[in-house]
Amino acid sequence: MTTQALLQVLASGLLMGLIYALIAVGLSLIFGLMDVVNFAHGEFLMTAMYVVFGMFLFTAIDPVLLVPVAAAALFVVGAAAYLGVVRFAMRAKANQGMVQIFATFGLATLMQGAAQYFLTPDYRSIGNSWLGGKTLNLAGVFLPWPQIFGGLVSIAAFGGLYLLMSRTDFGKALEATREDQGAVALVGIDRNRVFALGWGLGAALVGLAGAVLAIFYYIHPQVGATFGLIAYVTVALGGFGSVFGALAAGVIVGLVEALTAALLPPAMKSIGIYTLYLGIVFIRPSGLFGKL
Amino acid sequence: MTTDVLPFPPATGLLPRRRNQLLVAAAVFAAIALIPFLVRDVYLQNVLVLTLLYAAVSQSWNILGGYCGQISLGHALYFGIGAYATSVLFVTYGVVPWGGMLVGGVLSAAIALLLGYPCFRLKGHYFSIATIVIAEIGLVLVHNWDFVGGALGIQWPFGSDSWWTLQFARDKVPYVHLALGLLAITWFVTFLIEGSRWGYWWRAVKDNPEAAESLGVEIFHSKMAAAAVSAFFTAVGGSFYASFLAYIDPESVMSFRFSLLFALPAVLGGIGTLWGPVVGAAILIPLTEITRSYLGGSGSGIDLIIYGGLIMLVSLAKPEGLLSLFRRKPKAEARS
Amino acid sequence: MNRRELLLAGASTVAAAAVAYPRNAALAQAPKEVTIGVIYPMSGASAQVGIDARHAFETALDIINNDHALDLVAAKGAGLTALGGAKVRLVFADHQADPQKGRAEAERLITQEKVSAIIGCYQSSVSATVSAVTERYGVPFLCADSSSPSLQKRGMKFFFRPAAQDEMFSAAMFDFFDAQKKKGKKIDTVALFFEDTIFGVDSSNTQRKLANDRGYKIAADIKYKTNSPSLTAEVQQLKSADADVLMPSSYTTDAMLLVKTTAELGYKPKNLVAQASGFSEQVTYDAVGDKLKGAITRASFSLDLAAKRPFIAKVNEMFKARSNRDLNDNTSRQFMGMLLLAEAIDRAGSLEGPKVRDAIAATDIPGTSTIMPWSRVKYGADGQNADASPVLLQYVGNKFVTIFPSDVAIADAIWPMNG
Repeated sequence: MTTQALLQVLASGLLMGLIYALIAVGLSLIFGLMDVVNFAHGEFLMTAMYVVFGMFLFTAIDPVLLVPVAAAALFVVGAAAYLGVVRFAMRAKANQGMVQIFATFGLATLMQGAAQYFLTPDYRSIGNSWLGGKTLNLAGVFLPWPQIFGGLVSIAAFGGLYLLMSRTDFGKALEATREDQGAVALVGIDRNRVFALGWGLGAALVGLAGAVLAIFYYIHPQVGATFGLIAYVTVALGGFGSVFGALAAGVIVGLVEALTAALLPPAMKSIGIYTLYLGIVFIRPSGLFGKL
Repeated sequence: MTTDVLPFPPATGLLPRRRNQLLVAAAVFAAIALIPFLVRDVYLQNVLVLTLLYAAVSQSWNILGGYCGQISLGHALYFGIGAYATSVLFVTYGVVPWGGMLVGGVLSAAIALLLGYPCFRLKGHYFSIATIVIAEIGLVLVHNWDFVGGALGIQWPFGSDSWWTLQFARDKVPYVHLALGLLAITWFVTFLIEGSRWGYWWRAVKDNPEAAESLGVEIFHSKMAAAAVSAFFTAVGGSFYASFLAYIDPESVMSFRFSLLFALPAVLGGIGTLWGPVVGAAILIPLTEITRSYLGGSGSGIDLIIYGGLIMLVSLAKPEGLLSLFRRKPKAEARS
Repeated sequence: MNRRELLLAGASTVAAAAVAYPRNAALAQAPKEVTIGVIYPMSGASAQVGIDARHAFETALDIINNDHALDLVAAKGAGLTALGGAKVRLVFADHQADPQKGRAEAERLITQEKVSAIIGCYQSSVSATVSAVTERYGVPFLCADSSSPSLQKRGMKFFFRPAAQDEMFSAAMFDFFDAQKKKGKKIDTVALFFEDTIFGVDSSNTQRKLANDRGYKIAADIKYKTNSPSLTAEVQQLKSADADVLMPSSYTTDAMLLVKTTAELGYKPKNLVAQASGFSEQVTYDAVGDKLKGAITRASFSLDLAAKRPFIAKVNEMFKARSNRDLNDNTSRQFMGMLLLAEAIDRAGSLEGPKVRDAIAATDIPGTSTIMPWSRVKYGADGQNADASPVLLQYVGNKFVTIFPSDVAIADAIWPMNG
């Protein structure tokens, strides 16, 4: 492989990795807050993609400007998923973990079915947009603008999330709730409200990722599955609940995936990520930055 | 159940209850054995075979996932090993499926032991995701391994009906009885484990994590053994599936979907219980098959909406599993 | 299935009709209805294929059941004339791309719905299990659109495929390359790029063999994981190889991603000759058509033929009214498969599997009474129609133009597509 080809693979892997991180961080946040793995995370991503696609179709507003709209819409979806489904799963007295997995798995299947019912299973994609199909050529290394934009959104989101968690009352309430769910009730924090907001925030983050993906990826009811497993592995690799871990793991996953595809037969490229995950958790059982 | 740490179970006292359980099981399985003679419809018999198969495999999963609390979402790996071992041995080497069953089972058990060593150190979701990832690696490898047919899979040759090769062109009744036999064996093995020292330890550990400290090494070994037993029977299930379908390819025996389908009946019916997987499968599988058959043809996705919605509702409404509906006395004191 | 089983199959069908279902026994005298089972993916990742197929079959049903003045098989007269004008009824079933589910549905359709034949199934893996069931029950299976060559190699008596399979499709591509070479165009190297399921692997196996036999150098041979989030590293390798022809075998999702990624990496394939599938779907061209100008795909069908056979335009209109898209490689094969099935059942004058089977086996129809570019429809002993001549289409000016073989071509190929 030439140096240029290697640089190309690394650059593409890095940009894709930042997007993986953005997809994963919402999942990690929700887990950190309340120990729940949301198996409908991929479907949240799919919903965001359809939101952007639909808005673009009807208003012709460019997807770049629709990114906040998708985040807001997904905030509502996330909070509703908590209030409508997960809240009840949390009440389970027996095998809570499994109840959560399967309640959210049921939600995921239902969302796929609903997408097929209302939106048809046809493949969609956004045709002409400001960034779509445009590429930055850096001395022979090609960086597509939609992915660059995705990387920037991801970095901005992580920055914003850091500020939110460390500087605002909401962030402190989140932090306090994840530290000790029982005690927060004593100091007058409504646990349910914090959880609903946490779910909203987690979903809004995946909403950002969905909006970015909608610019350059195809959209259909099953698209969540393509990213779902990668998101879980990313979260676990970084350490469940760790925001910074999600960022680091996302980038690592993006780079490793691209490198494996370049070095091994590409059909086996996921093996790189999977062995990396196993290698790391066998040494550090709670991921790179997990507390556990 | 008690939360006190006792290294050994009380010697006697449960015997009459356990004898009754055995009698009930014998009656239930005998009744099921008669169903195919009353229901002659091939489609419904096919649903029955699948229900029994998923009940059996879910029961195998339950040994590790339910009783030991090691939530594996990668059992498709063992199912696939069973299916592939049987198909390769039969189609390439002419070894009858009974031999394949044994080889696949032993191979799976060995792999489970090998994987159990590093994996059991992982807790909760780290363990579950590790199992998913390992199964996915297996899937990718099989997909790219030409010797076992790669993506093209393995087609079994047409043969005449025989119990020896487990091929029956139209008759589903032998498959019903085979699957039922597998279910009865897994049920009985679970029954034995539940009443054994292992079962007692696992319950103790679940209710009181500190108990794990004092039992450390024994618990670890017993869980390894449970993983092997669980993998063995899951592989036998896969082996059965391969002879039942007479065609396998990587996606149709090893995809992640199967791992979920093995856990789901146990969860819906009642995780870590003797009858949970059976009850769960008895509801889930007919529901899946029938919604698809009679609503899926429209292509509207309505079958997925119903299926997903019901899973959600059941797991929320009855987190202890549907089996709890049948229990007269809730074991209130059992929960700490 | 041996002869004894076959006889048994026939006997039991009759017995079932006579004993268990006296209602059907009465029907056997003068059936009012002929039931055909249709098994497709109606949910899951390829659900759109099933939904488009549904439109194609319903269009065919309209043509069969109502009188149409078209010079097309099964169009004239309402219903099946030899069966007293009996109407065809379709029962649709969903296999979700799962061979087990496909098989269960085939058994249900045969035993509960008493179908006279089954048509399907898109995914070759599902066609494999469904055809095993139809073989065992003695019901004909018309394989409309699964193109895996291995399907016809199991010595089945009830399996029929009117359309071409991958070996024929790929041979057409290489015939075309040879012809181009003769004209002095440069084609030395090819790049195989295929997805990792049965379709891509089967297709690439044939292409690899043909390339070696006919002296084309394989510059890149890349199997990729289907539905990948990204194909950058894969396309980077294609770009480095820069073969004279890029030959993708990809489903719709990957086709869209592949084309987008080539553009993003500034790679312009000199030529692209695709194994249809994703490259014959309108949605692909809606999404990335601007980057596919000059792309070539093999096909079973070409709308150009409407110039010679006006009824094709009429059929396309009928289909478009239902589905809002033109007939393509898949839907044309599904549509035509259904008409051929209806014609054979009509000729059999019976609903019984073995009789319908014999009628299908005796089919001999000139290509001109189909909507396809085939020279004729006549099944070999293996059930394959060897005269299902494929065509190559080139995407020029937002539509497809037939460029090969020369007897049906209406334009010369633009070669190279990106000079």
